Amino acid sequence: MKRLWSGGGTIRLAIVVLAVVVIVGLLGPWLAPYDPLAQDTDAALQGSSLAHLLGTDYVGRDVLSRLLAGAPVSLVAALLAMVIGLVLGVIPGVLSVFAPRPWEWVSLRVTDALLALPFILFAIVFAGLLGNGLWQAMVAIGILFAPGFFRVSRAAALAVTSSQYIEAATFLGASSGWLVRRHLARQVAPTVAVTAIGALGGALLVVSSLTFLGIGVVPPTPTWGGMLASDLDYLSQRPLGPVAPALAIILTVGALNLLADGARDAFGVDSVARRATRTRRPEHAAAA
Amino acid sequence: MRLLPDNVRDGVPTEAPPQTPGIPARVPEGTPLHTPGLSAQAPSFDETPLLAPPLLAVEGLRISAADGTELVHGIDVAVRRGDSLGIVGESGSGKTLLCRAVLGILPAGIHVTGGRILIEGRDMTAATEPEWRAVRGHRVAAVFQDPASYLNPALRVGKQLEEVLRRTAGVHRRDTRGQAHDLLTQLGLRDVDRVLRQRVGELSGGMLQRVLIAMALATDPDVLIADEATTALDVTVQAEILDLLRDLRTQRRLALVLVSHDLAVVSAVCDRVQVFRDGRVIEGGATARVLRAPGHPYTRQLLSAHAEYGLERYLGSIL
Amino acid sequence: MSASLLAVQGLDVDLGTAPKTRVLHDVSLTIRPGEVVGLVGESGSGKTTLARSVLRAVDAAAGSIHIDGRDVTTLRGRALREWRRAGSVQYVFQDPLRSLDPGVRVADSVAEGLRIARIPRAEQERRVNAALAEVGLEHDLAERLPSRLSGGQRQRAAIARALVMHPRLLVLDEPVSALDAASRDRVIRSLIVLREARQTDLGMLVISHDIGSLAALSDRLVVLYRGRVVEDGPTRRVVAAPQHPYTRLLIASVPVIGIEGPDREKRAALRAAIVT
Repeated sequence: MKRLWSGGGTIRLAIVVLAVVVIVGLLGPWLAPYDPLAQDTDAALQGSSLAHLLGTDYVGRDVLSRLLAGAPVSLVAALLAMVIGLVLGVIPGVLSVFAPRPWEWVSLRVTDALLALPFILFAIVFAGLLGNGLWQAMVAIGILFAPGFFRVSRAAALAVTSSQYIEAATFLGASSGWLVRRHLARQVAPTVAVTAIGALGGALLVVSSLTFLGIGVVPPTPTWGGMLASDLDYLSQRPLGPVAPALAIILTVGALNLLADGARDAFGVDSVARRATRTRRPEHAAAA
Repeated sequence: MRLLPDNVRDGVPTEAPPQTPGIPARVPEGTPLHTPGLSAQAPSFDETPLLAPPLLAVEGLRISAADGTELVHGIDVAVRRGDSLGIVGESGSGKTLLCRAVLGILPAGIHVTGGRILIEGRDMTAATEPEWRAVRGHRVAAVFQDPASYLNPALRVGKQLEEVLRRTAGVHRRDTRGQAHDLLTQLGLRDVDRVLRQRVGELSGGMLQRVLIAMALATDPDVLIADEATTALDVTVQAEILDLLRDLRTQRRLALVLVSHDLAVVSAVCDRVQVFRDGRVIEGGATARVLRAPGHPYTRQLLSAHAEYGLERYLGSIL
Repeated sequence: MSASLLAVQGLDVDLGTAPKTRVLHDVSLTIRPGEVVGLVGESGSGKTTLARSVLRAVDAAAGSIHIDGRDVTTLRGRALREWRRAGSVQYVFQDPLRSLDPGVRVADSVAEGLRIARIPRAEQERRVNAALAEVGLEHDLAERLPSRLSGGQRQRAAIARALVMHPRLLVLDEPVSALDAASRDRVIRSLIVLREARQTDLGMLVISHDIGSLAALSDRLVVLYRGRVVEDGPTRRVVAAPQHPYTRLLIASVPVIGIEGPDREKRAALRAAIVT
C-alpha cells in the first residue's frame, strides 16, 4: 500500500475516490437523508437545493438518497463477479502449470471458448435460465471473467516455474503444493491483484449496464444503472437526475483503472519482460 | 543465447597454417606440450622508435557518473603502432569505461570530467558525435564480450558484414560481397561462402567473434581493442582467437589493446601490461618484468591466485 | 563397486523432442567416498547433463547410476521425491542469483530442504547455523535478501543450503563461473577447506570448463568431449601428461603464466588427431 501511495498524484486521487466509494458502499443506506423510496410528486424534478443536494427525480424521490442507497447493490454485485472470476480462474490457472498435458490442453480450450462469448448477452441468457436475479447474472459474469484470470495467473506461474530456484527446490524433494505455497504465490499475487482491480472496474460497468436494461433488479430498488435508465427521459429538464449516477459510475471505474495502472507500476508486474532483458554474465556451457 | 559448440556445429574448421616440413602430423606421445621459460610470442617491437607519436593516448583521464561520483581517477595509457598492450582488471576497475571513452560511447550520464583523449594526436575529449563517427571504426575499432548480442539474429552474417563495409568503409555496393569474402579469408576461415550465408543461431561463439573481428577490421583501423573478447568462449577456441589477434598485430601493424580479467590471457599475447584497480592504474610495464617482479600487492595477489588455483604448478612454471 | 559413493555405468542420455539428440554416450564414472572429482568439458560436452542426471533431472536412455549402492535411475514420482528429501545428493547451481528465490531471506532458503523434509525446528536451526559457519557466512548476512549479498556470499549460501542436508555427495555445476575473481578464490578456498574438514564423509563432483580452478580442488579429473569420457585419472597426471588428443589440446590451449604454450601448429595437429 505504501508503494501505491507514493506512485504519484493521480494514484492518490484514485485511492481517495475509491475510499469514498467504499464508505458509501458500506454505509450508504444509513447516510441517506431521505427514504430513497419516498415519493413526493409535488416536489418532482426539482433542481439542486439545500433540501435536496442533488435534486429530485420524476416522482419526487431524493436523488442523493437514491444514489447512496443504490451504491451497495451495484458495488457488491461487481465485487461478487470479480471474486468468482478470480477463484474460478486463478486456481486452475496456477494448477494448469503442473497438470499433465491432456488437462492443460482441456483447460486452455475451455478458456478459449469462454473468451469467445459476449459478456452481456451471456449474462442475460444466464439470468433468463436461472431466474431474473442480479446475483445469477453476476455469477455468469464471474464465469466469463475467469478465463482472463486463468491466462494471467498461468502466464505468471509459467514464468516462475522455469526459474532455477524452483528447480533447486525440486531437487530438495519439494512437491507441487510446496512450490505453489512457498514460491509461486508470492510471484503470482501481484499480477492477479492488478487484474482483479481492473476486473472490478469492468464488472461495475457490466452491473450498471444490466441494471440499466432492467435485468436483475426489481424496481423501485435503486441501483446506479437503474437510476440512469429511469431518469434518462428527463435529461433535458433536470439533467442532475441521470447525470449523478452516470458520474458515480464513471468516477468509480476510472479510479479503479488508475489504481490498476498504479498497482502495475508499483508491483513491477511487467517483471516477466524485465527479467528477459536483464543482463547477466554469459554462460559457458549453455548447450550442455 | 544458446550457441552451438564449436566442435559440434561448426564443421567449418579454421585453416591450419601450411605444414612446414619437419613437423610430424601427429604429436608423438611423451612430447612435452609446454616448455618452461618466458618468451614473447610475437616478434619484438622494442626497436619501434619511442618518439613515434602514440596512435591512441589517454592523459590523466577522469570519468564520473551523473551524481558526481568519480569512477576513473586519472589514468594514463598510450599505444603506438605495433604495440600490444594488455589491461588487466576486475569489473569496476575502470577498464571497460576506458574502452568506451576512447570510442566515444560512454553510457548515458557518465562523462569525462578531466584529462584528455588523444587519437592520432587529435584531442577527442570534447568531441561531438559526428566527430566520433569519423574516428570510430576508422582509427579505433573494438570487439567485445558476447558476440551474438552484437549481431541481428534475423539476418545472415554476410549481409551484416557487407552493411558495415558499405556504411562505415564506404565500399561500393557491388564490391561488398567480394570484400566480405576476402576479409574472412584473411582471418583464416575456410568455406567462407558457407559462413557468410549463415545466421547467428547457426554459428558458434568462436565463429561469431571472428565475424565481429572482420567487421572491426573493415575500415582498416590503426588500433584494435579487444575487451574481454575471449572470456565467453571455450578455452580451445580462445586460444585460436588469441592466435588470430597476434597475427593481426603483425600482419596489419595494428596496435592491439587486449583487456581481460585474466592475467594469463594478457601475458600470453601482450608485450606490455597495465593493471587496473578501482579506477587507477596501479602497475604497468613490460609483461616479463611485471610477472617476474610485481611491485604492487594487488599484482602479487593476482599472480598468487594463479599459483594457488591454476595449472601453473603442474606444468613447472617458475611462478 | 559397493565401496563407491557414485557409480555411473554405461549412461546414455537423450535430450530434446523430435529429433532426440544423444548427449551422453556410454559414460562411466566412479567416485569413492570423500573423493573430489573434477569434470571438465567445453560447450556441447554434456557435462551439465551428466551432473543433472545424477539428480535425476533427466532420464537415462540406457545405463545405471548407483549412489551408495542403490540404482536411482528407476526412481519415479513419490519414491523419487522421498529419495531427494533424504538429501544424500545435493546440487549447487552455477548462478546463485538465479538459484535463490529473490523474495526469500537467505537463511530461509538455506533451511528450505530441512523444511521440506519436515525436520524439527530446533534441529533446523542447529544445522543452518552449523552450515553457515562452515562456509563462513555471518548470521546478519543470512538475514538479508539475496540481492543484498555479493556473488561470492550468495554462492556460499547456496553451498550451505546443500550442506544442511548432510549429503554424502555434493554436485557443483560451474560453482565459480558466474563470480568475479575475488569471490571465485574465496569460494574455491571454502570448498578446499570443506574437503579437508570432511575427508571421507563428503564426496564432490565439480563441473567446470575452467580446468585451472578444477585442478586446485580435485583429486581426479575426468574429461568429457562430445558426450564421451576421453580421459580419467589423477589430476597431476592428467594435467602434466595427458593422453587423449583432446585433453592435450585442452591443456595446450589454457594460457599459463610463465610458460610458453605449444604453438598453433602443435595445437592444430592435436585438433586433427581428435577426429582420428
